[in-house]
Amino acid sequence: MIDTDKIRADFKILNIQESGMPNIYFDSACMSLKPNSVVEAMNEYYYRFPACTNRSPHKLGQKATKKVEEARKNIAKFINANSEKEIIFTRNATEGINLLANSFSFKKNDVVLITDKEHNSNLVPWLRLKEKVGIILKIIPGREDNTFDLEKFSEMVKGAKFVSVVHTSNLDGVTNPAKEIIEIAHKNNALVFLDCAQSIAHQKIDVQKLDVDFMAFSGHKMLGPTGTGVFYGKKKLLEELAPFMVGGDTVEYTTYEEYKMLEIPEKFEAGLQNYAGIIGLGEAVKYLSNFDFKEIAEHELKINKYLTEELSKFPQINIIGPLDPKLRSGIINFYIENTDMHKFAIMLDEMANISIRSGQHCVHSWFHSKKIYNSTRVSIYLYNTMEEAEVFINSLTKILKIF
Amino acid sequence: MPCIVALIVFGIMGIFSASQRALAKEAFDCVFRRVTFRPCNTGFQEKVKGKLLAKVLKHSSFLAKVLNKYYEVFSWIFFILMVGSTIWVFRGVYNFYVFGSCNGLNSSSFCAFDPSGANNKITAIGGNTSTCGITQKSEKTVTLKDVDLSSFPTKNIGSKDTVVFIGCYACDYSRKAYPDIQKLIQKKNANFIFAHFPVKGNITDTLADAGYCVYKDYPDKYWDFNSYLFSADKDYVLNKANLNKILGKFNFDLKKINDCVNNHETKTAVENQVKELNKTNIYGTPTIFINNKAFVGPKPYRVYRSAINKFIFF
Repeated sequence: MIDTDKIRADFKILNIQESGMPNIYFDSACMSLKPNSVVEAMNEYYYRFPACTNRSPHKLGQKATKKVEEARKNIAKFINANSEKEIIFTRNATEGINLLANSFSFKKNDVVLITDKEHNSNLVPWLRLKEKVGIILKIIPGREDNTFDLEKFSEMVKGAKFVSVVHTSNLDGVTNPAKEIIEIAHKNNALVFLDCAQSIAHQKIDVQKLDVDFMAFSGHKMLGPTGTGVFYGKKKLLEELAPFMVGGDTVEYTTYEEYKMLEIPEKFEAGLQNYAGIIGLGEAVKYLSNFDFKEIAEHELKINKYLTEELSKFPQINIIGPLDPKLRSGIINFYIENTDMHKFAIMLDEMANISIRSGQHCVHSWFHSKKIYNSTRVSIYLYNTMEEAEVFINSLTKILKIF
Repeated sequence: MPCIVALIVFGIMGIFSASQRALAKEAFDCVFRRVTFRPCNTGFQEKVKGKLLAKVLKHSSFLAKVLNKYYEVFSWIFFILMVGSTIWVFRGVYNFYVFGSCNGLNSSSFCAFDPSGANNKITAIGGNTSTCGITQKSEKTVTLKDVDLSSFPTKNIGSKDTVVFIGCYACDYSRKAYPDIQKLIQKKNANFIFAHFPVKGNITDTLADAGYCVYKDYPDKYWDFNSYLFSADKDYVLNKANLNKILGKFNFDLKKINDCVNNHETKTAVENQVKELNKTNIYGTPTIFINNKAFVGPKPYRVYRSAINKFIFF
């Protein structure tokens, strides 16, 4: 059982009151809060060794290099990568997907499969490749309750070159059966990319156990700083990829006629990196490593269960995805037919300092296909409490009474 | 409709606040999309509605429900009120320019006059007429209709513009307005008729008689004499003992003027003049008619200029 009081003490913003009310933060699916240790780690870089890594021989540079490489090691360990060389720092998961889409040798008529509820970041790069290269993009339709249809996938994967799927959807919190998807894809000689932006902070990801070929996640959803992310790939596959961004820090040497690329991971990390952010991300991973993910999941489920039960009492409310909270991680996304849900988010914020997200959550394609205007999403994380959930339900009840 | 209201409100507030300017920009975008027959997809309306409803809901669930149900109706009401108040503001600005007061005429200080002669007094500074026990009348009732001004001092006869100044040497407000009127007369070469209306009795009555006699016997020097009475130190002018000194200053024949002042006919003529002035429904000095438009109390010079230039439309 996780101790929320102890956890909340680590987050300064949760101990600050706005307009005489505490901040109730239910938007972790978009951006998680940052523990004080992450902020301090970043500050330490700027205060004590704000130098370039690798290239600088001085003590400050050496210290910065050590910290960045420590972060890489911690992250490799966190996802159980075979080697820290398989960890490539990016700005976010979106950059990781773009790196893959632009570095992998896709050819005309190569078939790429994605699901019907991908975040724009795992849709637009493929739509662009469809335009530029002529790949064939196929959409795997979900079941009625928005869960993954393995049977349908098994049929569609035949002849596919690549499968790029979300692990846990930011739309409804449903986690796709990654292990099975990867097994089926590999049997059909297709490589698999897993978008772990949403899952990385809520469940244990073991890339070796999953046998996933490529994977990416963002730092900002897992207690880390903004502008940080990781792209993972199996070493052998990464070595085969041709980086789409080159320049400083990616080459061993150059002449006026030629250049020699560095090995992985450096060949993908062009230009000066976000060192403070990377160090902060390493600290976030260290912080998260103190917890048992099963306990985090149990905590989220407890709150999700309460919210689901209470929201189900309102006949006008439709929850996106399966009704069973066990299948929706820490996300409850709901809408009311023919209603713009923005005002609900605004009113909750005005009335009780409750931060929730409204809109189409970067999954416009799904909303358009279902003809749903928008929704409001509550996303729970380890620092949220039952009391906060009760305040949310009480405030929402008041609001719903006037509509 | 809420977009238009928001655009106007935030547009005005945006002059002073950058954060309101951003909202005004959003509102403009919304209005622009509407007038170009596109849906307002900025979420701006929902944002404004949400914020308003939340604020009301904090206090009353019932009121929030009513506001939500009739949001569009309320928006229209506020829009109409806003247009109305905007027109009212512009009217106020116009009034201030042409009448010297946002409320239009009949709002500034003047020397109140009780026609019975028993309660003549001067209003408090700021126009609080209640202090003198006389109810302020409307300038609309003050008129030159059927008033014979032929016996009053007149200059620039034949001009297309006519200015009539009814004032009292003892009235500070008359003294304040007189130089402006002189400036106007000089500039426009207007026909000018001066009528002294003694509001404080005693010495002002004597000065009225003296003025009558001076105009009768020395019409060429009358205007300098009149200007002196308005511009010299008030206490000096209003001291009866100084009257001969003043008359002497202009080389008038003192005996002749004094005989005239003490003459019964003069008193009758001046009384008749006052009776004639009472026909105007005068209730305070200065009362100035510029091409028959009445102004009671001193006004800024631009007001007189606007009147003579026919800039007053209503």
